[in-house]
Amino acid sequence: MPREKYSDKNDNLYKQVDAYNLVENLESCLSCGKCVGNCPVASLSPSYNPRQVISDVLNGNSERWLKSEEIWRCFWCAGCATVCPNDIQFPLLMMQLRYRAVENNYGLKYIMPFKRFAVRAREDGLTFAPSEKGREKIRRYRSNLGTSPWPEISDRAIAEYKELFDLTGATEHLEKLSDEAEKPVSLSYTEGRIIND
Amino acid sequence: MTEQRVVSPEELFPEVPESIFLFRSCTGSMEYPGTENAIKEVMNKLGVKIVMDPDQTCCSGYLLTCSVYKPELSLAVTARNLAIVERQNLDTYMFCNGCYGYNRELAHIMKHNPAYMQMANDVIGKQGYKYEGKTEIHHVQELWYRLKDEIAAKVVRPLKGLKVGVHYGCHYLAQQYRILDDGGYPTFHEEIIAAIGGTPVFYKERQACCGYSVGRGFTHKEETVQPHLYKKFKSAKEAWVELMTTTCPGCNVGLDREQPNLNKRYEDEFNIPVIDIAQLIALALGVPLKKLGFEANTISLDGILNRLGIERGE
Ligand code: SF4
Ligand code: SF4
Repeated sequence: MPREKYSDKNDNLYKQVDAYNLVENLESCLSCGKCVGNCPVASLSPSYNPRQVISDVLNGNSERWLKSEEIWRCFWCAGCATVCPNDIQFPLLMMQLRYRAVENNYGLKYIMPFKRFAVRAREDGLTFAPSEKGREKIRRYRSNLGTSPWPEISDRAIAEYKELFDLTGATEHLEKLSDEAEKPVSLSYTEGRIIND
Repeated sequence: MTEQRVVSPEELFPEVPESIFLFRSCTGSMEYPGTENAIKEVMNKLGVKIVMDPDQTCCSGYLLTCSVYKPELSLAVTARNLAIVERQNLDTYMFCNGCYGYNRELAHIMKHNPAYMQMANDVIGKQGYKYEGKTEIHHVQELWYRLKDEIAAKVVRPLKGLKVGVHYGCHYLAQQYRILDDGGYPTFHEEIIAAIGGTPVFYKERQACCGYSVGRGFTHKEETVQPHLYKKFKSAKEAWVELMTTTCPGCNVGLDREQPNLNKRYEDEFNIPVIDIAQLIALALGVPLKKLGFEANTISLDGILNRLGIERGE
């Protein structure tokens, strides 16, 4: 049975995941497990375990997490980071683990629903502006409050917001986003079973 | 790394600001527009002037954490928005934990990585902006706490011991740099509730998150969000919480809109209205009901208003 074991940590190994260099101190993880104890997702899904994720990423074994459904369960609530004695920003690692998964065609189904929101946000300068019917409701509620029917966002803001998508490659990134090559992910824990059939 | 973690409100705000830049929140101005309005009304009563700017856009953090935006876009958007605030020479006040957390984190990243700051400024430079990293990013609730005594002195509709369970929301508590309270066991909301005549209730899962962040409300509703929220509401109900307050319109979506679904799935009866703490303060300070936008709520406030003896038309 594989055990967590000490190994000479190789800097570059975990930087493959932390490509944006946002978690500069991952190697200082003590494996103390406080993060797991304060993680609401780990308490519901025992096969999700931030300490184990860190250990695997440090040891170059992130592949199995990329293929997992577990990484898509994280709420990004930072309960882990709040209690971490070494201030490890685990959510910033998780964000990048998900990018890696998507680059490898895993978990696309968990981001495709947001493509629609992103495309719409690019036009509105606001996120979650609903479709026309929902907009009517917003206008009504806001008018009842005595404020402008629509949030006061200028045409200039909307145009420049859209332009930032082009200038940072986000337009292209969004257009390319598709689930055609989607590879399946799986959850390794089933209640009442040790081994999945 | 080890910046001071807990600061006193006087240290955070030696002077109460005359004017603040209020950062528009998408959810707070569309899903629950009463949130933004309540803040304006209360600030007005407290003599703090609010400045907003129509050139400000969405903070672009939410879709970043849903993995559809790349950091480059959100960094540039953050730099642009904060540059707009800096033009006014003001500090930035967020009323959505999402806006707060993302702006704070992305600003932190830019200030500590010259290359990232450069990237963002190169892009927004084309639009005539420059972000310098000068504006401080606060959450509006910090000002409520700083002005707690002034607020208490202005109460005209005391809360008659209403049992209020607070929901802090994680993206404030997780920002460990110079936040008001101990992220591990905060109490400052409870102190505000007590100051305006409510009874704060320390229910067991008060620090459990809303579960809706990073899009999990869309992708994992049944697998994790609902069982998680069920625990939260069960503990709130067991502690006789009558009303729940938040400081994030995004949390409101998860906590308010999801209750009917929990009732169906778990055959329980949760009926706990969820509002922003600013709306509750506004209520206590006598702001007319029609300025608070409770009609946007799924769980009706009627029971609470009856309990407080507030007429619908007031
Ligand atoms: S709490 Fe921090 S140090 Fe401890 S195991 Fe988790 S990440 Fe590592
Ligand atoms: S951010 Fe993710 S890993 Fe950390 S405590 Fe929350 S759910 Fe768990």
